[in-house]
Amino acid sequence: MSALGELRSIGTKKVKGGSKAKTENKAAYLFLLPWFLGLGVITVGPMLASLYLSFTKYTLLSPPEFIGIDNFIRMIGDERLHNSLGVTFMYVFVSVPVQLGLALALAVVLNRGLSGLSFYRSVFYLPSLLGSSVAIAVLWKQVFGGQGLVNVLLGFFGIEGRGWISDPSTALSTLIILNVWTFGAPMVIFLAGLRQIPQMYLEAAEVDGATKWQRFFRVVLPLLTPIIFFNLVLQIIHAFQSFTQAFIISGGTGGPADSTLFYTLYLYNRGFANFDMGYAAAMAWFLLVIIGIFTAINFWASKYWVFYDD
Amino acid sequence: MTSIRPTGKRPTGMRPTGRAAGFVAIVATAALALSACSGGGGAAAPAAELSDEPVTLRFTWWGNDVRTANTQAVIDAFEAENPNITIEPQFADWNGYWDKLATETAANDSPDIIQMDEKYLSTYSGRGALLDLTTTGDNLDLSGFSKASLDLGTSEDALYGIPVGLTTYAVMVNPTILETAGIEIPDDKAWTWDELEEAGAAVTAAGGGNVFGVQSWGFEEGGLNNWARQHDDALYNDAGEVVIKAETLTSWWEYMLSLTEAGVSPSASATTERQAAGLAESFLATNTAGFATGWASQLTALQEASGAPLELLRIPITDDASTGSAYYKPSMYWSVSARTEHPAEAAVFLDYLVNSEEAADLLGTDRGVPANDDIRAYLTPNLPESGKQVVEFLDGLTEDVGDAPALTPAGGSAIEAIVKQYTEQVLFKQATPEQAAEGFIKDLKAAIAAG
Repeated sequence: MSALGELRSIGTKKVKGGSKAKTENKAAYLFLLPWFLGLGVITVGPMLASLYLSFTKYTLLSPPEFIGIDNFIRMIGDERLHNSLGVTFMYVFVSVPVQLGLALALAVVLNRGLSGLSFYRSVFYLPSLLGSSVAIAVLWKQVFGGQGLVNVLLGFFGIEGRGWISDPSTALSTLIILNVWTFGAPMVIFLAGLRQIPQMYLEAAEVDGATKWQRFFRVVLPLLTPIIFFNLVLQIIHAFQSFTQAFIISGGTGGPADSTLFYTLYLYNRGFANFDMGYAAAMAWFLLVIIGIFTAINFWASKYWVFYDD
Repeated sequence: MTSIRPTGKRPTGMRPTGRAAGFVAIVATAALALSACSGGGGAAAPAAELSDEPVTLRFTWWGNDVRTANTQAVIDAFEAENPNITIEPQFADWNGYWDKLATETAANDSPDIIQMDEKYLSTYSGRGALLDLTTTGDNLDLSGFSKASLDLGTSEDALYGIPVGLTTYAVMVNPTILETAGIEIPDDKAWTWDELEEAGAAVTAAGGGNVFGVQSWGFEEGGLNNWARQHDDALYNDAGEVVIKAETLTSWWEYMLSLTEAGVSPSASATTERQAAGLAESFLATNTAGFATGWASQLTALQEASGAPLELLRIPITDDASTGSAYYKPSMYWSVSARTEHPAEAAVFLDYLVNSEEAADLLGTDRGVPANDDIRAYLTPNLPESGKQVVEFLDGLTEDVGDAPALTPAGGSAIEAIVKQYTEQVLFKQATPEQAAEGFIKDLKAAIAAG
């Protein structure tokens, strides 16, 4: 509360309109300047440039040529784009719920007061740090390859494996498993959320005769919904933007037979392999709209299931 | 017992003059068909000045370990002769090369000297990314090249690429595997696709599930070009429009699918995996396929990787044989970035690459049979066995070679990704050959329209 109090006092000073307050504001802006510069030069500027490029035909090496909404019209008839949307939706809507479920389950287990909690927490968190790295994608390629670890393990049980990554029916699943494996980040957030739940609620429920399951579903879960909501929004956005894993595992092509052609990967290929940067910029803005719509739906739906205890 | 016929090999008393004349004739015809423009040579533009200061040039190429080693040796030799020039090598496998080059070019950070492919030449030169090499003055001596061969890299009077070498699409055969399977190397003078399938089936039958007859080849346009030419068809016309007929593509994929279904070629999944892993992991390179198609210039690298005495065979023909389906292709070009800060030094390095006998000795035929007439005449008697095989194979084709196909138009470099995508769909039965043919034409037209 003390921080809030300070903010209020700054507010009142400003209302009083003293020259001291103005100097303080100036100092604040001065300190914020590097951040503003970064925002302008690294984020807002390129975004505006990309917005302009989405209305042009731009082959990277010759200057962009304004063509109105032609790029967006072409997107309507682009079957590979539709396919890449299908692949991306499949990836997002399978991997995010499974990943969050796993993260929550492990967080609950770890929250039961295991000795060596910080060790396990670190171990489970590790994949989140590594998961989107090139090295792990390369490793994944080996693990799920025709001669890979998975097939060796299956071989012990007499099951004949296959080239998981080179078969279009299983290639996307390996990427989904990779994303699920990076459950550590949401897990740590869940763990923090679980620690925040006041012990007295649980004690009261226990006194009232609630079973372990009832305590979890009636007390813990409702109090955790804001955290679940936060993780859900974050992970959906994150999954829509996935690129590295599919790029490395498919060798940049989205293959086999476009089965791992994420929207972002197709965007990249249009821009950098086909020199169709105007179209790629248009695709990027369409992705922003898609992510915006899903985030808006999330926020709208949150009114019906997220419980704020205040 | 199996006798191994020395395919296409001539007695060692060779006729270099006849050979050279043959090449020149072919290149001349090809160039006429390819380019309506007149030649590169001696431009009036101001020549770039050489600097005495230390200069660093970035040099990029795609290729395998053999090429990396011999190219590094050439760089070392060049640096010893030119102490103020440092060459920074940058190499990649074919699969990653073009992504990287495109990204760097877009970021205005292109390497100075670029190994360029025919599919990409118009794409890059048409967008002003490449330097007109006629502007480099006396630093680059191109007198060893016929006008015809320089025309292969010329567009609108500007020379954007020096053809490094010539190559042609061929079948490579592993005699050891064929011997184990108890079959003879087919006579390639007039062999058909059916004979390839039969021989391949015999290899698969004897291979016990580990060795296959024919490595699948639907991942680059070379095989498709040959197939189209055998069906009196072509990918593009001279105006750079997509003209290939759906029937041609359908029959190509039908043949490939029938080989896969019959087990003559490995499963779709194994094929995809090996294809993604690169040349050194291909079935032929790992001694697990009897036959494979590829560019003749890859023979040295594949022999090195497999350790087997691989040989070159002509591409089979259809039953209603049409001749002239083979063609010589510039295996690659040397290009210089239009944004290089040191055009003169880059020209000095190119001059060394294409004119120096020392460089020729080190490079061999890994980049194709040299297109520089003088260097080819110098090199041929000194080549190691695999290099001689390549020269002799190309020479033996001279009578059967037709005009080169029309140049790939700007945007046409997308063909590689498109071919690969539809081959995978066909092999995994996600599309029929007819559907693939239709999709291929549509996608390629769109790519060129956008290019």
